[in-house]
Amino acid sequence: MKNKIKNNESRRSFIKKSALLGVAATGSLTGFSAIASMTEEEKRKFMYELQKPENIIYSACLQCHNSCSIKGKVFDGKLGKIDGNPYSPQNMLPHLDYKSDIEFASDVDGKVCPKGQAGVQTLYDPYRVRKVLKRAGARGSNKWETVDFHQAIDELVNGGNLFGEGNVKGLKDIIVLRDPKVAKEMAADAKAFGKGKMTLEAFKAKHANNLDKLIDPNHPDLGPLNNKFVMMCGRIEHGRKEIGKRFAHGTMGSNNFFEHTTICEQSHHIAYKEVSNQWVVKDGKGKWTGGKTHLKPDILNSEFVIFFGTGAFEANFGKTSMAQKVTDGLVDRNLKLAVIDPRMSQTAAKAHWWVPIKPGTDAAFAWGMIRWIIENERFDKTALTNSNYAAAHETGETTISDATLLVKIENGKPTTFLRANEIGLGSSTDFVTMVDGKPTKLDIHGKKAIHGDLLTNTTIKGIEVKSSFQLVVDEAMSKTLGQWAGISGIKVNQITEIAKEFTSHGKKSAIDMYRGAVQHTNGYYNGVAIIYLNMLIGNTDWLGGMQVGGGHWHEDGSKHGIYNFKKANHPNKLTAFGPPITREKSRYEDYSLFRENGYPAKRNWYPHSGNIYQEILASGEDKYPYGIDFLFLHKGTPLLSAPGGNVAIDYVSDPKKLPIFIASDIVIGETSMFADYIIPDTTYMERWGTPHTTPDVAQKASKVRQPIVPSITEMVDINGEKMPINLEAAYIAIADKLGLSGFGENALDNGLPLTRPEDWYLKHVANIATEGKAKEATDEEMKIFESARRHFPKEYVNMDRFRKAVGGDESLFRKVVYILNRGGMFEDYAKSFAKAPYAEHQLKGFLKFFPENVAKTKNSITGVNYNGIGAYEVIKQMDGTPTGFETVKDDELIMSTFKEVFGGQSRTISNYWTQLSLDPENVLYINKVDADKRGLKNNDWVTLHSDSNPEGIVDLKNGTKIQVKSRVRVIQGVRPGVVTMSWHFGHWAYGSTDVVIDGETIKGDARRKDSACPNPIMAIDKSLNMCLTDPIGASASYFNTKVRIKRA
Amino acid sequence: MGNTKKNDRRDFLSKFGTAFIAGAALSPLISNASELLETENNVTEIKNFKGSFEDLLGGDYTNIKLRMQDDVRRALKKPMKDRKWAMAIDLRKCVGCNACTVACIAENALPPGVVYRPVIKEEIGTYPNVSKINLPKPCMQCDEPPCVDVCPVEATWKREDGIVVIDYEACIGCRYCMTACPYEHRMFDFGEKYSDGLPLVANYDKRPSFEYGKEWDREDRHSSPIGNVRKCTFCAHRLDEGLLPQCLTTCIGGANYFGDLNDEDSVIAKLVSRLNVFRLKEEMGTEPNVYYIR
Repeated sequence: MKNKIKNNESRRSFIKKSALLGVAATGSLTGFSAIASMTEEEKRKFMYELQKPENIIYSACLQCHNSCSIKGKVFDGKLGKIDGNPYSPQNMLPHLDYKSDIEFASDVDGKVCPKGQAGVQTLYDPYRVRKVLKRAGARGSNKWETVDFHQAIDELVNGGNLFGEGNVKGLKDIIVLRDPKVAKEMAADAKAFGKGKMTLEAFKAKHANNLDKLIDPNHPDLGPLNNKFVMMCGRIEHGRKEIGKRFAHGTMGSNNFFEHTTICEQSHHIAYKEVSNQWVVKDGKGKWTGGKTHLKPDILNSEFVIFFGTGAFEANFGKTSMAQKVTDGLVDRNLKLAVIDPRMSQTAAKAHWWVPIKPGTDAAFAWGMIRWIIENERFDKTALTNSNYAAAHETGETTISDATLLVKIENGKPTTFLRANEIGLGSSTDFVTMVDGKPTKLDIHGKKAIHGDLLTNTTIKGIEVKSSFQLVVDEAMSKTLGQWAGISGIKVNQITEIAKEFTSHGKKSAIDMYRGAVQHTNGYYNGVAIIYLNMLIGNTDWLGGMQVGGGHWHEDGSKHGIYNFKKANHPNKLTAFGPPITREKSRYEDYSLFRENGYPAKRNWYPHSGNIYQEILASGEDKYPYGIDFLFLHKGTPLLSAPGGNVAIDYVSDPKKLPIFIASDIVIGETSMFADYIIPDTTYMERWGTPHTTPDVAQKASKVRQPIVPSITEMVDINGEKMPINLEAAYIAIADKLGLSGFGENALDNGLPLTRPEDWYLKHVANIATEGKAKEATDEEMKIFESARRHFPKEYVNMDRFRKAVGGDESLFRKVVYILNRGGMFEDYAKSFAKAPYAEHQLKGFLKFFPENVAKTKNSITGVNYNGIGAYEVIKQMDGTPTGFETVKDDELIMSTFKEVFGGQSRTISNYWTQLSLDPENVLYINKVDADKRGLKNNDWVTLHSDSNPEGIVDLKNGTKIQVKSRVRVIQGVRPGVVTMSWHFGHWAYGSTDVVIDGETIKGDARRKDSACPNPIMAIDKSLNMCLTDPIGASASYFNTKVRIKRA
Repeated sequence: MGNTKKNDRRDFLSKFGTAFIAGAALSPLISNASELLETENNVTEIKNFKGSFEDLLGGDYTNIKLRMQDDVRRALKKPMKDRKWAMAIDLRKCVGCNACTVACIAENALPPGVVYRPVIKEEIGTYPNVSKINLPKPCMQCDEPPCVDVCPVEATWKREDGIVVIDYEACIGCRYCMTACPYEHRMFDFGEKYSDGLPLVANYDKRPSFEYGKEWDREDRHSSPIGNVRKCTFCAHRLDEGLLPQCLTTCIGGANYFGDLNDEDSVIAKLVSRLNVFRLKEEMGTEPNVYYIR
């Protein structure tokens, strides 16, 4: 800290001095009975209990995926209060310098949002599950018995007649491929077979002894039976994600480990990734690899920011760090904003332009802007004509684009980049650009600067070519501004004014996008079109433009760490192979199923996307490409949180279709209520993690989540180590029971154990310490560290065991403590300005208008190639059939959703401080025009209906049917024809209904049930039994449903 | 910047023109627009931005919160009668997130129905010209507090530093003060718990409130502050320990300012002298100590 000396005074010394001066704060309250009755000792106690360093443990939130840095304040052994960690750039602007004294920091509270503040109520929710539950009735019957943890693990591993419904397979019958060497060889050969490079006969001959371990010996490329073990994770984040993959892939040998990303904002990530992946040449062969999945505006230095389908104050990634950058900017720096959103959000309320766009037409609006910018030549011509890095360097840019690169055109459609060898100019790894009309070989890393021509539309040696920029121009010009505006349902001047403003600040304009723009069937294209706008002004890596953010030190040890978990530390790891059940990151054409069936495939394959949440259960039910034997759901509730997720109730409630279903959950949730077993989990306040930070944060940040209080789940002894029952305990116990690698004694290199969570997580912190060159904690800090954990049972938090988990080295352990005492490691604030006018942390990459990889991919159902550029498309089914979404009948309204700032989808209903104090029930927001038309007034009850769910009902198949109904709230701030609703209500479990445990009825709390969740009425892709989905980015569609509302 | 002007404007346009889809018309060109980006890659100077009201930051401070914390601590060194606590809320920066509301509930362990820091939200205008107003409303800590005079047992008064306090042990719960407050700020504690009716009493309902520097347990349904009127104290229990109010510390928009009005060097004193400052219901003559900036 560069603060004045008095700033460094600790709270205690401050009080002491005050006392010396005779003005001790509380002392002057004479005559105040409550205070006057206090003894000296009592008074000291209140200086101030919640703020003493020995009562503070820094950790990371998880009420939303931003994983803000939090300061947990412990009182009487319980978590008393949560505030923001002032060391973290996410939670204080500007944040404290990293070297600041922890006594000083203890007095400074950073900021957290209302959800973060309410975390205590997630932790101490009376409906938390503490012991393992096993169903004592049919699935979904809400009848349970508690069972011993080890008994449950034994039953899961060995199977048997577990429910009196006949024999059930155990994990031992599913995880059958257990030999790492065999798995590795089979994986390679299966891949070769899939691609037609090895015959089935040859494969069978070579692996004759192990064919019984395959899902289908005639389709070995589908992988081993192990793949029928599927891990489906909802809100999982770094730390737990990596240990989960270790378990699913390396220990269990299954290729099925999933996160929830497609119900969040995956198409936006895929758009960025495909636009920014890099052309890497190795051994004479080039390939597109890597790519950044996320960029954010550097709001702190921007002069104009457009929020496309998102904002800075309510949700996004994330509001707590973004909000003040915007508000400070508005007041102090004349920052201007535009918000593209059918709903008047809090951000729109502060914006200079609110564009209440028609849902699903984001790309049309972007193309309108692109057209205007091109016609008026307000793009950065210099940046765009930089054809290679040498040219970029010459003109002061860090990135290049493909604007001048030539793309081959066949039948009027762009196919691939023209390679130099195709016109006899050079190698197949070089591109071609026109320089003053002359075809020129282009090595993007070449030493000579090449500034190509932007517009090319010609034929070279019989090959029809256009420049990438020409493709963009053609698409932009394919419709008039009036037509683009018409599609978006807005006025032309909204396009032109915003386009003009956007191009009036040099590099200091930027566009942020999130859910709203991409959770559509055309989401990927919308995302790409929006990225084009940023590319047109070449704002990436410039302060005030788009930034990659500060990133983090590599906790996986892959760079200068001491324990490399990326490439090592898993002896006898199994090689998982075969397509994931969602067929993500897999090309249909690389599998034998394609050779046999061709197009259409039964369901789509997604080579560009991953973590396709809504496909997991739908594919399992469809048994395509294979079925699920064992579903392990963790911290997810797909039946509630996926659009139309309720269609899978049929599947999960039927043991004949889904043989074993277990859930790791903190409560009995909407989906875990259908499980056979629930393994209680620790909340984020009781466990470890190493979450990453939004690129909104310009400084490098490695956060550490650590237990603030002991878990309220039951303690369990696994081979002599005592720990709370949670996800990690389940991994350790299952691996142990099955005798598999990756957990237990000798699980890591050099014979090191992974017998409790700290063996994993503290080594990750050690990696941060090594790479980030952490300081050692002083003796005083070591004392505070231990004292702050005095409320933990010894077997839970033990300094010697921690030291051992780090590796035994005292110096390294002290560095780890230094980091833990600050909740992570954070770069100083001023660092982000060190390279002005450039961002400190840069992309320095190749951005493409023409993401070639996508253009080369075919939709596996239609067999038609995807569009190489981010064109505007209407809302379609997976098979390419338009849904007719764009034509709205008189009695129909378009359903949009959003999230109230205090509501976090499926997991905040227990937070009464927010739910009851701020808005006790969810409402359907409707424009007054639409309300008047229907004779609806504020607070009238309506039921919601759609073509996919005409009755507007959720059938739990346990005798309960729920009508989707809500009160209406009549407002002006929503586009007429659109209704919108936050979704964090409408629970049918999570403590909202009665459950019977060990014969005793636990009464549910009706306050959690009130009002609706809009997801059950959302549009279904009928032939796929799943919500409408973007075929490329795989985002689930939340905004492409037309609803009818009826007075209830 | 070595700009290679390969395509000058005229060249570009002529090429561009030929590239048009037949029939598509050029919209009017805006003159001298093309120079804009070519010449202004670096545009304006980038400064090491230190956050809101940088002009008030002063000295070596990196963060206005730290400066305000020092303002508070400086004030605490004076006798209480020489301090005058005040708060300013910049409505332009309030994003309506209610983090303050919840932080306050959590800090003061408030029961259902008691909210010290509501944020009044209102939509104004007619589609499409709509906006929203967010108005956080703590206790105004009036210099002429109507709530104090009506108390029949003198259980509420204005502390020397301006904070209006309630002596829970003296309060008889008659609620006259609630009626008297023109800001409808005071609330009655009926002794409810958020976890009432649930399978067990939640830990968050057991944590005592530390208001006025004492532990106020809620275990017993008959002892204070249950049955008392309750109100915001600017987090006096924190303030007295040199800590800022929780509504301020957690504000994600950075909309709150706090300090000693009697200290001419404090952030708050400088802020409230500005033009765009107002107080609620000024006409009542209550002389509130909460200022709003718009």
